[in-house]
Amino acid sequence: MNGFDSIAEMRQALAGQRYLADEGLATVAFLALRLRRPLLVEGEPGVGKTELAKALAAATGAPLIRLQCYEGIDVHQALYDWDYPRQLLQLRAGGSAPLYSEEFMLRRPLLEALASDPARPAVLLIDELDRADDEFEAFLLEFLSDFQVTIPELGVIKAAAPPTVIITSNRTRDLHEALKRRCLYHWIDHPDLAREVAIARARLPHISERLTTQVCSFVHELRFLDLYRSPGVGETLDWAEAFHVLGRQQMDASTADRTLGTLLKERDDIERIRGKPVEALIDRANGVPKDGASGDH
Amino acid sequence: MEPAVTIKSDQLGPPSGQPVLAAAVGLARVLRTFGMSASVDSEHVFMRALAEIDVRERDAVYWAAHAAFVHGPDERPVFDVVFERFWEGRALILEERGAEHGEDDARMSGSHHGGESLPQFGAEGEQASPLDGDNNRATREIPSPDGNEGKSNQEIGVLAAWSAQDTASEEERLKYQADELAALRQLAHEIKRAAPERRSRRCKPAPGGDRLDVRGTLRGSLATDGEAFRLSFTAPTLRPRRLLFLCDVSGSMERYSRVLLASLKAAVGATRKAEAFVFATRLTRLTRSLDGHDLERALDHARAAIPDWSGGTRIGAALEEFNHSYGRRGFARGAIVIVVSDGWDRGDPEILATEVRRLQLQARQLVWINPRPMTVDQQPLAIGMRAAMPYVDEFVAGHDPRAIAGLARLIGGLGADRPQRAVVPRAAPTVA
Repeated sequence: MNGFDSIAEMRQALAGQRYLADEGLATVAFLALRLRRPLLVEGEPGVGKTELAKALAAATGAPLIRLQCYEGIDVHQALYDWDYPRQLLQLRAGGSAPLYSEEFMLRRPLLEALASDPARPAVLLIDELDRADDEFEAFLLEFLSDFQVTIPELGVIKAAAPPTVIITSNRTRDLHEALKRRCLYHWIDHPDLAREVAIARARLPHISERLTTQVCSFVHELRFLDLYRSPGVGETLDWAEAFHVLGRQQMDASTADRTLGTLLKERDDIERIRGKPVEALIDRANGVPKDGASGDH
Repeated sequence: MEPAVTIKSDQLGPPSGQPVLAAAVGLARVLRTFGMSASVDSEHVFMRALAEIDVRERDAVYWAAHAAFVHGPDERPVFDVVFERFWEGRALILEERGAEHGEDDARMSGSHHGGESLPQFGAEGEQASPLDGDNNRATREIPSPDGNEGKSNQEIGVLAAWSAQDTASEEERLKYQADELAALRQLAHEIKRAAPERRSRRCKPAPGGDRLDVRGTLRGSLATDGEAFRLSFTAPTLRPRRLLFLCDVSGSMERYSRVLLASLKAAVGATRKAEAFVFATRLTRLTRSLDGHDLERALDHARAAIPDWSGGTRIGAALEEFNHSYGRRGFARGAIVIVVSDGWDRGDPEILATEVRRLQLQARQLVWINPRPMTVDQQPLAIGMRAAMPYVDEFVAGHDPRAIAGLARLIGGLGADRPQRAVVPRAAPTVA
């Protein structure tokens, strides 16, 4: 069952999966489960949109079914396809089973989600929907509003228990109004410093608190610098891990300089931060006040 | 549809949830007047959500309403203001009208002038909740002229931006003549036919295709008892390539504005894959304003949406804004990017070069249309233009507005092949 009695309980269950949701996210997740509405989450890359679905699946003990969208994805990759080799063999062997029946059907993620065990409805993650095209979006409408699909050869297939659907989008294009209307919406922001430290502590318990706090403070300051591409939480974690692997107990400028590629993925950004700004940011992360710390803007 | 919500009685006390419903509908109505698309469906979601949460808790109600009504981060400021007033049960008045007609106006009924007033919903502290009473009608409040003056002005600032009247520019509106509009339709038609295409990953059956279509072959073989005499093939389909216009509307470009806007409308109307942005000192996305069937209205909307005709230009900064907020999300990926500008830039040419290069790396092809390549003092090109040149795949010079009107023919020839780009040495990054 999708049994969470309160928002607080929902939050705790997610925290149990080391996913620290804020009040807003916990509320919409709770509502998505209770109202059985798909949840559309958007946000900067690396704020944990995909992680949310994983945590939700783990917290409800449900299987996670993932559909990664891409340009040109269609029904046969998302919903079902026929098992042609078997059909051909059947034809040649002169078998009597009808060719277009469940027996010869290959289930793709969407159908899989509809067919999941009613006792534990699946969590279906439709990742980066904005990468698919309008046609695919239109196709999803029936699925998302009634949790059913129509297969011409077989008829309507309806879910015994509707899956929990999480849709993510990077906003490379506007999703259709009709689709948004069927969903609950949430925009995930970068976490504030305290939350990011908490997330890092939960995810990387083997790394010292001092190092974690330093790295998070550094990244937090960095996000104010208006870089071309600000690092997400995932990159913060990678960076902290990098220090740990290199045997550092705390941040130092030279290691930071060398491992900057774990954090920043744009050459312009790296060149801008490398050297003096790194030192200044470390000082700031350590709480040392210094005038003109990062030195640029 | 399911029956309306039943509110748990232990949460609210008698009578039933009527006031809550009225308040919920009221919120949706006010959101609509501020340009948000609060559909009946969203209302329904909100009401069902209210049944699941403790309606006395502000945060829970806020996030429930947020999930139901907000569909993008840009809608959030408006929503926040409306919700805040909704929750406190305060009236919501459009400042511009209050200022014009004096505060008396606010006492008129909500549907008339004086803006919307909100039904009360929640109340803080020990104050008796309006939900408890037998007061089934949404209460309306008349705002006091004094009181939270400073704060409300600030809030109104956000709201005012949403009222169509307010954003209308002061300048005279250019009315397009009937024959011009006809020409514009013609141009749209031409662009539609000429729009560059790209191969999609989707396939469809095609007799001369190069991929075996097992599905089709199998279907065909049913007629011959499973003997596949005839093979079916598929070929990839073609989709229109995204056209991305970035147009300069600063002072030096003003004399082209009329034809420019018309061409943008033609392009946006012609293909669903076109996006139009304009910039002078700031960047404005124009696609939505230009959308729609009514030509004249679209042009009017677009005019109103452009914040600063004839201001100064900072091309570099505008492109930087584009790269940061749209480019990073993939707006320019694989697109034909068409920059229309004379390259007169008041900003730092180095920033301009960096940003144009960044744009070029995302785009399939970067075309720069310069309606005025020669400057008055016989310098070959404006400084900004010279900075951008190395990163432009194609440079189109025009000496009069017709260069822009010839857009359709130009677009038709674009994007067929990936342009050959030499590796251009980067401008040194600006490190302070």
